[in-house]
Amino acid sequence: MSQASDQTNLNPLREGITARTVPDPCTVVIFGATGDLTHRKLIPALYNIAVDGELPPGVTVVGFARRPKTDEEFRKELEEAARKYSRQEVREDLWKTFADSIFYHQSEFADPAGYKSLAERLDKIDQERRTRGNRLFYFAASPEQFEPILKHLKEAGLNKARDGSWARVVVEKPFGKDLASAQELNRVVRNAFAEEQTYRIDHFLGKETAQNILVLRFANAIFEPLWNTRYIDHVQITAAETLGVEGRAGYYEGAGALRDMVQNHLLQLLCLVAMEPPTDLSADSIRDEKVKVVRSLRRMNAEEVARDAVRGQYEKGAINGKPVPGYREEEKVNPNSTTETYAALRVLVDNWRWADVPFYVRVGKRLPKSGTEISVHFKKAPMVLFNKESVALDQNVLVIRIQPDEGISLRMQAKMPGTSFRIEPVKMDFHYGTSFGKASPEAYERLLLDAMSGDATLFARRDEVEHAWRFVDTIEEAWAAKKNAPPLCHYPAGSWGPEEADDLLARDGRAWRRL
Amino acid sequence: MIETEIADSLPAPSFAPGMPVEIGKIDRELKKLWEVSEGAMTRASLINLAVYSEAPESLSANTQLISRITQDHACRAIVIAANPSAPKDESQAWISAHCHVGRAGSKQICSEQLSFRLEGSSAKFLPSIVFSHLDSDLPFYLWWQSEFHDPMDPQLWAWVDRLIYDSQPWKDFDSQMRSIETAQAEAKQRIVLCDLNWTRLVHIRLALAQFFDHPAAHHHFDEIDCVQIDFAPGFKSTAVLLIGWLAAQLKWRLEKTRDDDALRFIDSSNRIITFELSEKSGEPIGRMVIRSGEITFSVSHATGSDLLEVVQQKVNPGGQQRCGGFGERRVEARRTP
Repeated sequence: MSQASDQTNLNPLREGITARTVPDPCTVVIFGATGDLTHRKLIPALYNIAVDGELPPGVTVVGFARRPKTDEEFRKELEEAARKYSRQEVREDLWKTFADSIFYHQSEFADPAGYKSLAERLDKIDQERRTRGNRLFYFAASPEQFEPILKHLKEAGLNKARDGSWARVVVEKPFGKDLASAQELNRVVRNAFAEEQTYRIDHFLGKETAQNILVLRFANAIFEPLWNTRYIDHVQITAAETLGVEGRAGYYEGAGALRDMVQNHLLQLLCLVAMEPPTDLSADSIRDEKVKVVRSLRRMNAEEVARDAVRGQYEKGAINGKPVPGYREEEKVNPNSTTETYAALRVLVDNWRWADVPFYVRVGKRLPKSGTEISVHFKKAPMVLFNKESVALDQNVLVIRIQPDEGISLRMQAKMPGTSFRIEPVKMDFHYGTSFGKASPEAYERLLLDAMSGDATLFARRDEVEHAWRFVDTIEEAWAAKKNAPPLCHYPAGSWGPEEADDLLARDGRAWRRL
Repeated sequence: MIETEIADSLPAPSFAPGMPVEIGKIDRELKKLWEVSEGAMTRASLINLAVYSEAPESLSANTQLISRITQDHACRAIVIAANPSAPKDESQAWISAHCHVGRAGSKQICSEQLSFRLEGSSAKFLPSIVFSHLDSDLPFYLWWQSEFHDPMDPQLWAWVDRLIYDSQPWKDFDSQMRSIETAQAEAKQRIVLCDLNWTRLVHIRLALAQFFDHPAAHHHFDEIDCVQIDFAPGFKSTAVLLIGWLAAQLKWRLEKTRDDDALRFIDSSNRIITFELSEKSGEPIGRMVIRSGEITFSVSHATGSDLLEVVQQKVNPGGQQRCGGFGERRVEARRTP
């Protein structure tokens, strides 16, 4: 149990009125404070938490970045960003109170003096704003800056909290580019912060629907008995986007779809679908079960990669009726690039529950429609009693839509009105937006609150990350092999990916679900 | 009749109860209503919400309330305006829908409203009217806006999941609570009680609680000697609920005094905690100040805003003499509102 929840239990005035662990007052230090993530996600998220009354009084934001700027200039810049990206309207009076808690600290990441003065400033903030020595260091800078930042934080003594206080670090993805670099990154982080101080953020886990997978599975008695190899034929996990690289070519060229999306987001979703019920809802109980799933993923040898993994790259085509260039024509992309913008895998989870149930995972850019979903395809009814003319009835499919239009639908068979037994598939549909008028909090809101409260449930643990890289590395190595590497397939922008990806399912007698 | 959420620049929507229908044909007329609008609109419902009032003109006021409620909480609303003392027996019904553009896009999300005016002895048919129009399987919330009569029809409580009421305007608190206890005893299931007089304290309570989240602040509980509350006219019972909550959470005992009307508490160390209540126009609870040793913890409504101000400060030397130093007019709390 976290220190924060201990405090909540001791405050008798919280009894019965606070459903979640109350975050502690703290100072959030953002490294890379002038960057896109701070503007688009972090500040709007903190502002929304404040508007919802969940930000403890005294919480202070210190932006740490290289460019010279005054507190006032920084606040103005963040106000504009909040007005643009906040899910709730920015109110003058609320922003003013919130802005008073924001400060700017100018320093080079590699300058030890900047950290010394940061430490002094944080001590002053602790006294003035009663933040009690609690510090949340948020790494929104590029990964190559992590090492110098961590080194200097340690030298300035900022990695250690005083008695009764805490110091935590939030690390953004990518958590390395392969197992070796992830281990190196973990080593670097561990040099300054212990594992229990480290929060690796995967914003997919902060999404309402991702969290709802656990509720759907473990709070509804009707699903869990069917959630196994006996009743489930296969599972599909899809993350499709219409966008291309959109100015991220520098990063994307070295990463590709597999590293960018599969190693983290999609494997996290797979874990939530495939995991065993945890013993309780504590962070480590849930993460222990997720780790067991990642460890059970069947590693592929080169031959299996050629058979069960497809990589593709988009060529010119059209999205929503507008022509778009191919990947190799995009700005800052090598004209001979072999980076995959599409990946499809047939994954097996080697445990009793999932024996012989394939998980088909696909991710792609420049697909016709954006959407992330999990579809659970149940086995067909054993006998065709009614529809004798048809070859077989459709399968029942449970779809969990992660984004957009979050919700759950169940496809089942129903009799068509009429004198004969004609059967057609129908869909029962639940939309979060329809049933719950109140907008869900953004993933970053939930995750920031959790980090301030000391709840690591929705953050990736070191062993999860490393096991995921172990699985992905075998595929990357086969794709990068000089000899007999599986081909890079091509697909026109605006199509549903290369034909080879369709063949991956077709040879099992299955097909991708149309989003 | 389908009302759609419209832009601020357009004329305000009317809050008429909708299209008149025969009571026996409500389901058929509702079906027709949705057939007309199929495709562009989605009907949504998470609860049955029945609102009962005996106030004149309540249909329009409650229709307006339902319009706002359904923006965040899709429901089947059943709005009843009753006048049991009307000389003539009469019942009328209307159907309507409140539609709002959903967050996801252009499709409108609609909640149904069934409205009834029941006059004279028709008001006795309330349970049958409500029960025959509930959406099956969804929880049933009954918002009782009037005083409870004695005896109430036991049928009414049979399926209520949550009973919403407001104890603030009650004149006879004991008899009203007895009715609620009877309702709970007669119900086939556990009724969750929701007193709006209590609910409206939640923000003040949260604001006050945050002062004491850190263990280092807990010693202040043992040093509280004085609490002052400003309440709006008519909201003394709200202030008393707040006092009751604070006393219960901090395990203070009510002190018996010679003056039966005075309200003082004793903590586990036999220290006396005095309460001072001031009636002031404004928010139901305009300000609450707790004094603990040299520190005061204050929660108040910001002037001209819907925000709360929380202030923790050292008491000035002159203010330490007595609790009354904070307020302008001293009103002692009564034991029973």
